[in-house]
Amino acid sequence: MRESTLMQLQYATGAAALVLVGLHLLMQGVLVPYGEAVSFQRVLSVYKSGVDAGLLEILLVVVLAHGFNGLRVILLEWRQGGAWTRGVNWGLLAATLVAVAYGTRTVVLAVTGQAS
Amino acid sequence: MAEPGQEAAKNARGARGWLDPRHLNLERWAYVFQRVTGLAVLAYVLAHIGDTSFFVGGPFGGGPSPSSWSSDLAVTENALGHAVLVMVVLVVVYHGINGMRLILAEYGLIFSRPTRPEYPYRPISLRTAQRHLIWVAIVAAILAAVYSGGMLFG
Repeated sequence: MRESTLMQLQYATGAAALVLVGLHLLMQGVLVPYGEAVSFQRVLSVYKSGVDAGLLEILLVVVLAHGFNGLRVILLEWRQGGAWTRGVNWGLLAATLVAVAYGTRTVVLAVTGQAS
Repeated sequence: MAEPGQEAAKNARGARGWLDPRHLNLERWAYVFQRVTGLAVLAYVLAHIGDTSFFVGGPFGGGPSPSSWSSDLAVTENALGHAVLVMVVLVVVYHGINGMRLILAEYGLIFSRPTRPEYPYRPISLRTAQRHLIWVAIVAAILAAVYSGGMLFG
């Protein structure tokens, strides 16, 4: 992808993250008291309601895409060079996919698994 | 007047260049903080994805597990963990609101009309909404951190 396209993507994911992170913070301490929000039963009911679990998954992808692309921008500004650019691009893409996969696994297991 | 190439040499200092606090105006400070807070939030998000996975038993778990979750909460629910959360609220709120300012500036929505440079050469970019929004980001971040601190420690 062209750098200008990636930067538009950075603004789009940033705007989406502003809404989603704001909602996440409200649900984890303002609208729902913090102690209750982290209780096992409450977290389980969040995952079992399809909409909330879906929002958590979208939040995961949006924030990781935004965060790793931001790190990419900083690293490419810090040092220049063909090998460096390719290494940073592919390395961070791989890191993003690993982090998304690990977080998605948590969501999937929480949504589908039976509480033991 | 700066020598030709002086600005380029400054940029070539890399991270030390943008962390050097000399000759920075408010907008440059906002930029440095945007990067530092971004890195901090990314580090927290990765740790948070790791710690929340203990809801389903951690890396080798297979489903929702109350015992795994309570051992995770034993690590995070203490004064140090709560202090980290207050810091996270502080940097996330700043990063979000200042980021919104950057998006508005990128699309030209909060720029005043360009004018001829006149003494004392104050940056046009800082004359209007931009300056206010930087302060909104700073004040909102502090208020949110105070609120979360009161909630977690009160």
